[in-house]
Amino acid sequence: MKQKNNNFSLIILGIIALVAAAFTAVQLFVPSLAIRANSGPKHSIEGNADASEKTPAILTLYDAPKTVTASKDATLTIEGETVFVYDAVVNNTHSWSKTPKLSSTPMAYFDFEGEVDVDILMTGLDKPIESAVISPLSAGVQAEVKEGHVRFTLSKPGQYTVQFNGSPNKAMHIFANPIEKEIPDKNDPNVIYIEPGDWEIESLVLKDDQTLYLSGGAILRGSVVADNAKNVSIRGRGMIDGSLYESWVKEGEYARVPIDFRNSRNIKVEGIIIHNSNAWCFNSFQSDGAEISNVKIISARPNGDGFTFQSCLNYSVKDSFVRSWDDSLVVKNYGINSDNITFDNIQVWTDLAQSCEIGYETNKGKLKNSKITNITFKNITVLYNFHKPVLSIHNSDDALVQNITYSNIVVENALMGRGDAGDNNQLIDFNIAASGWSSTAGRGIIKDVLIEDLTVLNSDVGVTPPTRIYGYDEEHMVENVTIRNVVINGTKITDLKDLKAKVNAYTANIIVE
Amino acid sequence: MKKTISYILIAIIVICSAVSLYTIFLTPAATSDSDLNQNTKPAPVVKRVTTPDQSKAEVPAGFEKEEPKVPELPTGENLALNKVVESGLHTDVYKPKNVNDGNVLTYWEGADFPNHMKIDLAGTYKIKTAVIMLNPAAIWGPRTQTFEIQVSTDGEEFTTVVPSTQYQFDPQTGNLVIIEFTPTDAAYVQFIFTQNSGTFEKGGQAAEICIYE
Repeated sequence: MKQKNNNFSLIILGIIALVAAAFTAVQLFVPSLAIRANSGPKHSIEGNADASEKTPAILTLYDAPKTVTASKDATLTIEGETVFVYDAVVNNTHSWSKTPKLSSTPMAYFDFEGEVDVDILMTGLDKPIESAVISPLSAGVQAEVKEGHVRFTLSKPGQYTVQFNGSPNKAMHIFANPIEKEIPDKNDPNVIYIEPGDWEIESLVLKDDQTLYLSGGAILRGSVVADNAKNVSIRGRGMIDGSLYESWVKEGEYARVPIDFRNSRNIKVEGIIIHNSNAWCFNSFQSDGAEISNVKIISARPNGDGFTFQSCLNYSVKDSFVRSWDDSLVVKNYGINSDNITFDNIQVWTDLAQSCEIGYETNKGKLKNSKITNITFKNITVLYNFHKPVLSIHNSDDALVQNITYSNIVVENALMGRGDAGDNNQLIDFNIAASGWSSTAGRGIIKDVLIEDLTVLNSDVGVTPPTRIYGYDEEHMVENVTIRNVVINGTKITDLKDLKAKVNAYTANIIVE
Repeated sequence: MKKTISYILIAIIVICSAVSLYTIFLTPAATSDSDLNQNTKPAPVVKRVTTPDQSKAEVPAGFEKEEPKVPELPTGENLALNKVVESGLHTDVYKPKNVNDGNVLTYWEGADFPNHMKIDLAGTYKIKTAVIMLNPAAIWGPRTQTFEIQVSTDGEEFTTVVPSTQYQFDPQTGNLVIIEFTPTDAAYVQFIFTQNSGTFEKGGQAAEICIYE
């Protein structure tokens, strides 16, 4: 009897041990069945409670006017929502012509906040998409290519350019704006409120204290002009478009500059797009005090300069984008002195002429003691330059050009020298010389220039592009130029020889660090 | 032997109990694949701005072009029409002969002040009115120009009939100025431009110059 009891106890113990072992195994290796006293930080088995803790993205999409045909080259969806894609007019040629051959590239815009998934299907390429790269590269946005779709996620507003198969052809420009805040009241008598739609106003003159509001989804065909006005603003998400007009070089036509400030003060421009101007794009003459932000410019026709400031004071341009068929960012003197102008966080794509130019006209008004001073280009990304110098001062009159700073400049593709650029193919070109644009008999001076943190990621066949620093004579020198921390194609530049710099005798204190 | 087996079974039970208690109370919940799939981000809040039905670009309400108030032009023959003209440097394609081709959409623009524009009337006339026109399109915008008017009977010696004066040009009033002066014999009329607020102060402009007796 006692033997039997012992055996039974042993069997019970065995069963308990087996159950204990099985339970432990489940706890350790089958999470879905495991019991936990601490619930996880994100998920319950049901799941929904955790998803609701994430803030939903906010997305504002703008239909295009019904007069505009969507691009057949690309479709774009954001979070599954269709976004209108425009065919932006661009110019892929690099030789000046009165009647250049024009092309198109897809462009889209929207506003968002949070994190959004983007899906592009390119139907306009002549071969399947094998790769996609998103610029600016510094944004670190990686694309996945799968079954012809390019997918990526955006979490920060900005301007993004997607290139396919390593080619600039049909690159898509995506203008992902922040959500608009404080939209002006359309009943405010000082507000000119342009609703979504396609509108023609040949010349819209802004007077003191007026704001032009261009709604997203609006296209304004015409010019916005302020002459001797103060406290004027242009803002919105819409587009000023020059497509109705022939190029200004055609006889009988004239420049219809989309935004043109003359002798004006206290100016604000924010959020709008300028597309296909028939001449310059955003022009300011002898104006004082401007804050320009999130402005996107695409030009393709003769003299399509991007931001061109003549004799302006206290101008700030930031967070903006220029793709131009002529100088992208340019400062000149047409009248009084230029002073305190800053370009900050700007992306440029220069199909023709210079990317960041001071000149050529440095004293077109032939005034005494002409000066261009305190000009800063910082946090500039040059997506492409196909033609003439990236950083240039062409002092073609008799001005003193002084205190010029170039800081944190990244050139993703330094491809200067194409088309009719000739020997104007430099990365850096500081030159005092007469030219076809000279107005003064005398020559000028360039002094106190700093270039720091200049990086070239890609150039022709990995070749270092040339640099030129030329003074004119002993009284008209280029002096005190410091070029610090330059890296070209991964190689740190340590001297003028590394920089492939030609420096003539009429220079002093040119330092590479 | 049975005692040994018992001890082993008891040890198994104790160890398993300890491990189980540890995982239940001290380990956070693991995330399974099914849990991940259920952790999708919430749907975005989408606002779509629509556009009206349109078949072409329209002039928005309130921006209809006003008819400009154009002053009445002098009667009689325009003595300058299609006559020989001469000027100094001009800008780009804006050549001198545009100034009297009868087409207000073409224009002359001088380069580098002072600009002179001389018109040969091909005969001597007692003139008293000059009309200087710019393109009346609104895009031209208002501007001021300063010029002097001179006359000559031989094309060499000129005398001033209207001293240097600043004039206001405005599309709202036809973008032209009508200047009357004392009737004077003239075979040549010359304009000396020294200011133009519409060209960054670089050169005078005229789409048409008309001269009347």
